[in-house]
Amino acid sequence: MNEIIEKLLEAVEFGKIDQKSPYPPQLRGMDGSHELTQQALAAGVDPQRILEDALIPAMGNVGKKFAENKIFVPQMLMSAKAMGASMVQLKPFFASGAIKSKGTFIIGTVKGDLHDIGKNLVAMMVEGGGWTIVDLGVDVGSERFIEALKSNPGAVVGLSALLTTTMVNMGDIVAGIKACDPATKVLIGGAPVNADFCRSIGADFYAPDPQNAVEYLNKLAS
Amino acid sequence: MKQHNIRLHPLGKELVVNDQTPLIDLLHEFGVEFPCGGRGTCGKCQVSLLKGKITVSEIHRRKLDHLHLPSNVRLACMSLCTESITLQVEQYDHLILADETNFEFMPERGFGVAVDLGTTTLVTQLVELNSARILAVETMLNPQVKYGADLISRIQAGLDGHSTEMTLLIRSAVGNMIRLMMEGAKQIPDKVILVGNTVMQMIFSGCDLTPLSCYPFQLENPGTKTFTASELDWDFPDGTKIEFYPSIGSFVGSDILAGIAATGLHRKEQYTALIDLGTNGEIVLGNRDHIICASTAAGPAFEGANLSMGMRAVTGAISSLRHDGKTIQSSVIGNTKPRGICGSALIDAAAILLEMGLIGDFGEIQSGENSILIDDPVRLTQKDIYEFLLAKAAIATGVTILAKNLGIETSGISEIYIAGGFGNYINLKHLLSTGMVETTGDKIHKMGNTALIGAKMFLFGKGELADEILGKTSHINLEAFPDFQDIYISKMILG
Ligand code: B1M
Repeated sequence: MNEIIEKLLEAVEFGKIDQKSPYPPQLRGMDGSHELTQQALAAGVDPQRILEDALIPAMGNVGKKFAENKIFVPQMLMSAKAMGASMVQLKPFFASGAIKSKGTFIIGTVKGDLHDIGKNLVAMMVEGGGWTIVDLGVDVGSERFIEALKSNPGAVVGLSALLTTTMVNMGDIVAGIKACDPATKVLIGGAPVNADFCRSIGADFYAPDPQNAVEYLNKLAS
Repeated sequence: MKQHNIRLHPLGKELVVNDQTPLIDLLHEFGVEFPCGGRGTCGKCQVSLLKGKITVSEIHRRKLDHLHLPSNVRLACMSLCTESITLQVEQYDHLILADETNFEFMPERGFGVAVDLGTTTLVTQLVELNSARILAVETMLNPQVKYGADLISRIQAGLDGHSTEMTLLIRSAVGNMIRLMMEGAKQIPDKVILVGNTVMQMIFSGCDLTPLSCYPFQLENPGTKTFTASELDWDFPDGTKIEFYPSIGSFVGSDILAGIAATGLHRKEQYTALIDLGTNGEIVLGNRDHIICASTAAGPAFEGANLSMGMRAVTGAISSLRHDGKTIQSSVIGNTKPRGICGSALIDAAAILLEMGLIGDFGEIQSGENSILIDDPVRLTQKDIYEFLLAKAAIATGVTILAKNLGIETSGISEIYIAGGFGNYINLKHLLSTGMVETTGDKIHKMGNTALIGAKMFLFGKGELADEILGKTSHINLEAFPDFQDIYISKMILG
């Protein structure tokens, strides 16, 4: 059983989706996360364990390597896809309550901005950290964040912006959210954003990369 | 008001300025660069204090610490003159691409001026219209660079209340260049045609920049803007016709319209592409029936911004690299000691390091170290290589999506022209081996300053050529393409 978990961890960390996927070359022909998750569930491994002992540590390793510039976007995406192939099989257990999520993370790219690749990566990594994701997409203004918060009370909000001209919209969104519920935590990120800017608009945390976002969220959850 | 003397070493210049004058207002003319527009984020506007004091604010101190700079170094963009000081500044010589390409024309009477109004550089040429002979040329750095290297920073500066200032700066700079050419050649132009990207067109024309600052990035009126000399405060007769040519759409401006004219792709039967390798990575694909274009937001890596030791193609920049299998040799602009690396050598580096096995297909440095020495003291960090991948993938994705829009494969493009500021230094073989442009060596050509060539072509006739091209050309929003992310990320892989 431990062996399956170890293999799954490796498959996700190195982005092996299923047996026929050619990537990564060193795992060619081996089972991917799709098959390994099937095998684990069939062998009766507790779904919570699959999440906690395989997916979360695998994605944590990916996030760390990315933050250290050891890997880049393509490898991270492959790992996220491998995680996705496992996660779809775990969905029913989240729904039934057999797996407990660490919390809900609402994320979106701010109004006026359509860049979403960075935001998508953050969403995937946070999901891989054991959180439930509500992805509002791109060009999102404060109303939609507030609406999503109403349906997901207690959720943490993440804002992404890639343009110098749209990051200013983060200020309005943070103000809108805090006006509704001052206790809601707002995390921001994106290439032009920095910690000084984060302080100046009253957001709670600036994450330069996905791993940083995951670590901040985990601190909130613990 | 109190005044101070500012000495600039080694230029031997001495300036008298009012108390509290920001250094950014003085220094940009002397070659100090402000890529982030003075927002204090890039750390490239370093000057050394040889004598006197510059008070350092808390944020300034934090940036200096973060950059690990010697104690006498200041960031010019965060400094004010509060006493007399002596500064050491690096002076750059700018190599700006003018043009002497021959083209077909119908002789006319009189004289014309073609202006390529680039985000970074300005080029004007005075042309005798019965021979297409070039009587005079002027080049200079766009004086707006102190408001930032890229277009969005200029837009931001406009929104922050500097739009009138930027308009006056650019009008007077171009006016002066034309006056110098007139004095040299003793001729008065009958017409002046300007081309440039949409933001440059709007700033020159004194239009509101707000529509270009956020989605959907659409202008109400991107058409030709006409001026009289007196409106622009240019001292020549009002009879001269002055036109800033129309933009195609969104960020794709009349410089690209001119580029299409220069390549003649609007008259070709086979699909032909034009790629402008700049920050905004404009790409055109089409033939005599229809033409589509887009801007791919490649980012500033080709201009050297965002790279740890990046710089534009100016004195001290490594402009190209070669290797003999074991060592890397570099050429440095101005034959001096290398100070940084510019876009053309960045492409060479990616290709060569891959070929030598020093980096892998994902750009990862094989030694496990965090940087590679290119030519002492210039290094390329792992992050620099990733910046390159973001830019190269943007170009490759743009071409792929345009081709998909026309229902063809990229291999179905019969000719590809490369334009852009550093176009002349580019090694096409390396461009191909990085996978930035996916074609074969026989189909790809460098074309130099296509905006200027096209602007000169527009001087002949009454605008028929531009109308013909505009009639066939449409702009595509790449963000509307559903598979963007998957294509983009797959193109980040080298080779
Ligand atoms: C919530 O918590 C968090 C925490 C961390 C967070 C976070 C949230 N969000 C991000 N992070 C962080 O984690 C991620 C992983 O490390 C990182 O995310 P990033 O998003 O930074 O990184 C991604 C993984 C990879 N990076 C990217 O995906 C961006 C790459 C570049 C090339 C880029 C792309 C791809 C695109 N673009 Co655009 N684009 C550029 C970019 C230039 C460059 N070389 O960087 C940039 C951002 N674009 C720019 C521009 C100007 C534009 N773009 C535009 C369009 C596009 C494309 C459609 C072509 C495409 C986007 C497609 C898409 N679906 O996202 C236009 C506007 C579109 C719009 N309405 O928003 C347009 C306005 C115009 C144009 N065509 O030139 C520039 C902004 C300049 C500025 N000063 O603001 C730009 C820097 C390029 C340039 N010209 O210089 C971190 O920032």
